[in-house]
Amino acid sequence: MTMALEVQGLTKVFRRRGKDPVVAVREIGLQVQPGEVVGLLGPNGAGKTTTIKCILGLMLATGGSVRVFGRDIARHRSDAAREMSAVLEGSRNIYWRMTAAENLGFFTLLHGVPRHEAQPYNHRLLEVFGLADRKDVSVQELSAGMRQKVAVACALATRASLVFLDEPTLGLDLETSHELRRLLRELAASEGRTIVLSSHDMAVVQDVCRRVVIMKEGRVVVDDSVANLLALFRTRAYRFALSDGCPDGLEQRLRERFTGVTMNPGRPFVVEVVLDRAEDLYAIIEVLRAAGVLIDTITQREPDLEEAFLRLMRGEGI
Amino acid sequence: MNVRLLGCVFRAMWMHRLIMARRYAFNTLSSMITIYLVFLLLFLGGRALAGPMLLGDGLEGLVVGYLVWMFALFAYSDLAWELIMQAQIGTLEKLFLSPAGFRWVTIFNELGGLVFNFGLGSLMLLAIMLTTGTFLRIDLVSVIPLLLATIAAAYGFGLMAGGLALVHKRIQAAFQILQFVFVGFIMAPGDWVVSRYLPFNLGTRLLGQVMGDGVRIWQLPASDLLVLVATGAAYLALGMLVFARMERMARNRGLLGHY
Repeated sequence: MTMALEVQGLTKVFRRRGKDPVVAVREIGLQVQPGEVVGLLGPNGAGKTTTIKCILGLMLATGGSVRVFGRDIARHRSDAAREMSAVLEGSRNIYWRMTAAENLGFFTLLHGVPRHEAQPYNHRLLEVFGLADRKDVSVQELSAGMRQKVAVACALATRASLVFLDEPTLGLDLETSHELRRLLRELAASEGRTIVLSSHDMAVVQDVCRRVVIMKEGRVVVDDSVANLLALFRTRAYRFALSDGCPDGLEQRLRERFTGVTMNPGRPFVVEVVLDRAEDLYAIIEVLRAAGVLIDTITQREPDLEEAFLRLMRGEGI
Repeated sequence: MNVRLLGCVFRAMWMHRLIMARRYAFNTLSSMITIYLVFLLLFLGGRALAGPMLLGDGLEGLVVGYLVWMFALFAYSDLAWELIMQAQIGTLEKLFLSPAGFRWVTIFNELGGLVFNFGLGSLMLLAIMLTTGTFLRIDLVSVIPLLLATIAAAYGFGLMAGGLALVHKRIQAAFQILQFVFVGFIMAPGDWVVSRYLPFNLGTRLLGQVMGDGVRIWQLPASDLLVLVATGAAYLALGMLVFARMERMARNRGLLGHY
C-alpha cells in the first residue's frame, strides 16, 4: 500500500557563522498510512515544527527524503504540494482584511481548485464550522476562535489528502478548543483525510489522534497508538487512600521499593504510586499493612496522555 | 506546468489584489494624493525658480521624468512591499505551498499589479497634464513597450529588496532610500557615457522623445532600443538571481515564517 507520508532519515542542521551547528532534526523516520490521524508531540525545541516545515518544503532539509503518496517532494514538488495543506502557527496565516468566504475562495484557487468546484464544499465547511452567518465579515472582526476555525477551514477547503495542523488550538478557550476537536474528529472520520497534528495540548492529541509520535531533541522517541501509551501506565498507576494518615518512615520505605511515589497529605491521606510490575500491588499492600495503616480505598488511576508524555520524557516506560 | 492550475493561481492573485484595493481604498487614495502633491510642489517650486524657462521641453521633461519615477516606484514598492507585508502577516508560507510554486504566484501577483498600476498611473498622468497644461502625446503603441522596458529594472530592484527582506526582514530604511536613488538614475545627465546603462535613464529620454516630440518607437535609433531592452533585462535577471538566492537562504535557515 502507498503510504500517505513516508519520511526517511530526515535531518536538519542549522549552521551559524562562528557558532556550533544546531541539529534540530536527527534522521527521523516516519510512515503515515492514508486516513490516519497522527499526533506529533514533544517539548519546546523537540523539532516538531521543523519536521513539518521540511516535509512541506518550506524549509530545506540537510538530508533524508520525503515521499507524499509515493511522490518524492524534491523531484515532484507540484504533485506532492497538491496533496498537502497546512495550518501553521495558529491563525496568523490567513488574510485578516478578507472575509471568511473570501479566504476560502482565495486559498482553494491558489491550490488549483476552480471556483465552481470549490464553492459547494466551501459552503459546507462554513456551515460545519459555524461560520455561515459570519462568512461575509472581515476576519479581523471575528473572535480568536472563529479566526482559528477559518484557518483550519482554509486548509481543509483545498481537499488536500494530507493535512498538517501545527498547534491548531493555540490560544483558544476550552469551549472552542473542544468544539474544534470535535469538528476535526468528525471530518477525519467522514472524509478519510490523513492528518498530522502537532500540539502542546495533550488533551487535543488524545482526543483527536489514534497514533502519537513523540519527539525529543530532534529524534522520534516513541511511535505508538494513543491507546497503547495509556495502557502502558494504566495497569500500574494506583491511588491508596489511607484513613489514619501516614506514619513516620512509611514514605521512605515506599520510595526505597517503588518508583513514581507521590504523597498527598490531607484527609484522607493519599499515596499515588506507579508500579513496575502488576504483582507489586501485593508487595505495596504488605508494606502498608506492616506500617499499620488502614487502607480506605484503592483505585486504579486513569492516566491521561499528558501523564504518559511526562513519564516518557523522564525515560520511564521506554 | 498544468494550465488549469496556473489559471486558478492567476485568478486567485487577481482576486486578492482587487479585494485588497477595495479594503485599502483610503490608503491607495492617500498615496495617490501624496504623489500628486509632490509633483505639484516640484512644478510650482520649479516655476518660481526658473520662471518662464520651465516651459516647453523643460516642463515636458519634468512630467515624463516624474511619470517614469512614479511607475518605477509602483513596480518596485509593489513587489518588495508585498513580500514584506506577507511575511509580516504570516501568509508568505501559505503562498509557498501553492502547487504552482512561489515563482508563478509572484509573477501573477505582479501581472495583476501592473494592470492595476497602469490604471492608477494613467489617472495621475491625466491630473498632472491638466494641472500643468502640458498635454503629452500618448501613442500607446510606442509608450507601453518603452515604459515596460524602462520599469523592468524597477521589478529587478523590487525582487532584490524582496529577497533581502525574506532573510533580513526589517529593510524599510534601505527600501525607502532606494526610492530617492531612482531620482538620481533618472536625472543623470544624458552626456555621461554611463548614464544610458543606468536604470530608467535611457528609457526616460526615449519616452521624452515619444511623448514630447511625437517620435514613433520605430523611428528611434535601434541601438538605443537594444541598450534599453538589454539593460532592463539585465537588471531584472539580476533581481531574479538575487531573489532566488535569498529565497533558498531563507528556506535553508527556516526564515520564511519569521518576521
